[in-house]
Amino acid sequence: MKKIGFLINPIAGMGGTVGLKGTDGVVERAMQLGAQPTAHLKAGETLAALRHQLAGTPGPPAIAWLTCSGKMGADALHAAGFDDVEAVHAPAEPPTAKDTTAAIRRFVDAGVDLILFCGGDGTARDICSVAGTRVPILGIPAGVKMYSGVFGVSATRTADIVTGYLAGRLGTAEADVLDLDEVRYREGEWAVRLYHAALTPYEPTYTQSQKMLIDEATDADVKQEIAQHLLEEIEANPEILFLLGPGSTVQSIGTLLEVDKTLLGIDAVLGGQIVGSDLNERGLLDLIERHPRRRLVLSPIGAQGFVLGRGNRPLTPEIIRAIGADNITVVATPAKLERTPLLRFDTGDAALDAALAGDGFLPVVIGYRLRRLVRVAV
Amino acid sequence: MTEPTVYELSAAGRCGLALPEIAVPKTNLPEALLRRDNGLPELAQRDVVRHFLKLSQHNFGVDSGFYPLGSCTMKYNPKVCEDAARLDGFAASHPLQPPETVQGNLALMFELQESLKEIGGFAGVSLQPAAGAQGELTALLMMRAWHADRGETQRRQVLIPDSAHGTNPASATMAGLDALEIPSDTRGNIDLEALRAACDETVVALMLTNPNTLGLFEEGIEAAIDLVHGCGGLVYGDGANMNALTGIARPGDFGIDLMHYNLHKTFGTPHGGGGPGAGPLGASAALADYLPGPIIARCGEGAADDGTCRPVMPAKSIGRMGTYFGNFGMLVRAYAYIRLHGTEGLRQNAIHAVLNANYLRVQLADRYPVPYDRRNMHEFVCEGRPDGSEVRAIDVSKRLMDYGFHPPTNYFPLIVAEALMIEPTETESRETLDAFADAMRRIADEAIGDPDLLRAAPHTTPVGRLDEVRAAKQLILCDPAAPDTED
Repeated sequence: MKKIGFLINPIAGMGGTVGLKGTDGVVERAMQLGAQPTAHLKAGETLAALRHQLAGTPGPPAIAWLTCSGKMGADALHAAGFDDVEAVHAPAEPPTAKDTTAAIRRFVDAGVDLILFCGGDGTARDICSVAGTRVPILGIPAGVKMYSGVFGVSATRTADIVTGYLAGRLGTAEADVLDLDEVRYREGEWAVRLYHAALTPYEPTYTQSQKMLIDEATDADVKQEIAQHLLEEIEANPEILFLLGPGSTVQSIGTLLEVDKTLLGIDAVLGGQIVGSDLNERGLLDLIERHPRRRLVLSPIGAQGFVLGRGNRPLTPEIIRAIGADNITVVATPAKLERTPLLRFDTGDAALDAALAGDGFLPVVIGYRLRRLVRVAV
Repeated sequence: MTEPTVYELSAAGRCGLALPEIAVPKTNLPEALLRRDNGLPELAQRDVVRHFLKLSQHNFGVDSGFYPLGSCTMKYNPKVCEDAARLDGFAASHPLQPPETVQGNLALMFELQESLKEIGGFAGVSLQPAAGAQGELTALLMMRAWHADRGETQRRQVLIPDSAHGTNPASATMAGLDALEIPSDTRGNIDLEALRAACDETVVALMLTNPNTLGLFEEGIEAAIDLVHGCGGLVYGDGANMNALTGIARPGDFGIDLMHYNLHKTFGTPHGGGGPGAGPLGASAALADYLPGPIIARCGEGAADDGTCRPVMPAKSIGRMGTYFGNFGMLVRAYAYIRLHGTEGLRQNAIHAVLNANYLRVQLADRYPVPYDRRNMHEFVCEGRPDGSEVRAIDVSKRLMDYGFHPPTNYFPLIVAEALMIEPTETESRETLDAFADAMRRIADEAIGDPDLLRAAPHTTPVGRLDEVRAAKQLILCDPAAPDTED
């Protein structure tokens, strides 16, 4: 018997349909503009597919559902024909982010195996603020923005991931939870930020070790390999200033170096020692001026493949130019590249983006002494 | 295992053979020299013979059944080649014998070099490498030396398609170079746009398998080779799939600078057990001088050529890749195989290998999706997930064992999800191919109707489903010097 915590953000996606760039804080305006709730329809699609898939499997893993009452979960589950449903939270009307966090707290306390939610980046962010990396989360895509790496590509494909995970076929991996700063976005500024690391079900990375043998490397194993690769570069080049960007893949380098690398910030390493932590623009410029040889290590964030986005605040076009387009090392696990076949640079400076994209392909470190040429959006 | 060990079969006092009466007076050994705890099993000769015969029957080989292990070219090994390798003159010679006493052996090696030059379109061949992967390493060391002689020591990158054999990046790393993976395009060819982006003054070589591991002929082979040569790089051919080309096309003719042959694939020498193998290396005129030695040369030229042979080192040789003359027994078998078939026979092998693989693809494609569905060469790759069922390639493979077939290669190449890589080779009859296709179709039915039957397979083998990765990585070893230690 597996326990799944299930939650629908009933207002998710409403802002998008009426041209608002998100729904946070503008739900009333969206309704005035005629927006209709659609999240429950997406959730219904996934639940129906899930129900269908489980019916086709002999001895299916029975699911005990924990959810919120009414339109935040229970209604959709009952409509899909699931009966082992326990409502652990009764949301306010209209529901708010507080209802999400309260429900997630109940799910986590009850020891659920997976949190399945229907929403967008904002919902993912609210969930992670409570669940952290304690419970894997998976999103049915229904929001205005879905930059985070925790969403299935479609409502039905999300059901495949749930069955695969329940059957023990999929492992879990760390993924980035990103969101736009909606206030800045509505003012016309595109600003994406990495907010949290989350756990999510992932196809394992297969590597062939012998003709008949295939290893399923865990996400942590692959990150460790990437970290080992970079560690050797750092050790071999004590005079080079390494600037380590945000995200869990780059953070694993810090772990291997036994230094305190921040998850969300940009940290500087010289000769294996941290010489700057969570640097801002000023701090970066200061270090760059003092170190003629430097290298910036970045991993594409979220599911959109942005190696550099406008929200990557301290890494302004000026800073990137000062570091030099040739001095950027991109790292990513093969599992992440599976979901991000195209890398993107969007620094807000078109000429710089073109220089970074080069001839449309970029070598990406995907393992120990393993690099793959990956297409870049030009 | 159903077969007990000899220790379990042992019965006190049982004896395997009757010794003749002794002609000298019997003297007991001093008590102090006697061991009571040697723990040797006591069995009748009959028990010993039955025990080892049963164990041998637990093996599966090309001699016991169909073995469509993709990329391995598990063709039948003609027994006459074994006979040749066992001739006293070959089997009982010693590598330190003076050349004049082993002229027959040297002549065989010379002839084999000449045959391989002709088959691949190369100017020189070295028989030194002991296996395909060592052939790769040898080639990379030669290319490194070639670039170094031209003062181009900044060349460090080896370009490798994402469909390549895993040995390619491993060899590049072992040669101290950096591997860069190049993606495939939607038709399963190397992505020429990506290759163009990667070609610059840092490129040592492109390592290319043609046909590639999807069993597909590289449609842009000439453009790919031109791109690499254009930036001053070299092109290495992984000859693992040469069985599709022998007698049809010559890699040297389409611009491959170096290529190894897998004698156990293309030329029918036995596989397995980690050797002994042989991976001779062919080289273009520009690189032949760098080949590892010794290679075998005729003593004189023209009228002065009296047919005698001697080992020589090529002018700029990178040195030896092994002791003495490589795995000579394998060279004898391959030579016998080549002479047995002749030019037309080798060509027919390639044609029939391609025909058999296409026949199977067409038979199976409606049940097992083929992601790059175009005419294949000697092998093809399908998805081991019939008709959208929830079973996996590994389950299909394990179930095939219950039908008496060796599984295909699983999960390789890595660019196809749930890959099954099927290579029937030219040596199988239509009846065998039909029986295999029939089993695969029945398994596809089972995958829908009774998937758990597949998940628990195999059911008829001496042991059930094994954790192969764990078995290979967590070895349980015992120290023979410590007889009481178990596990």
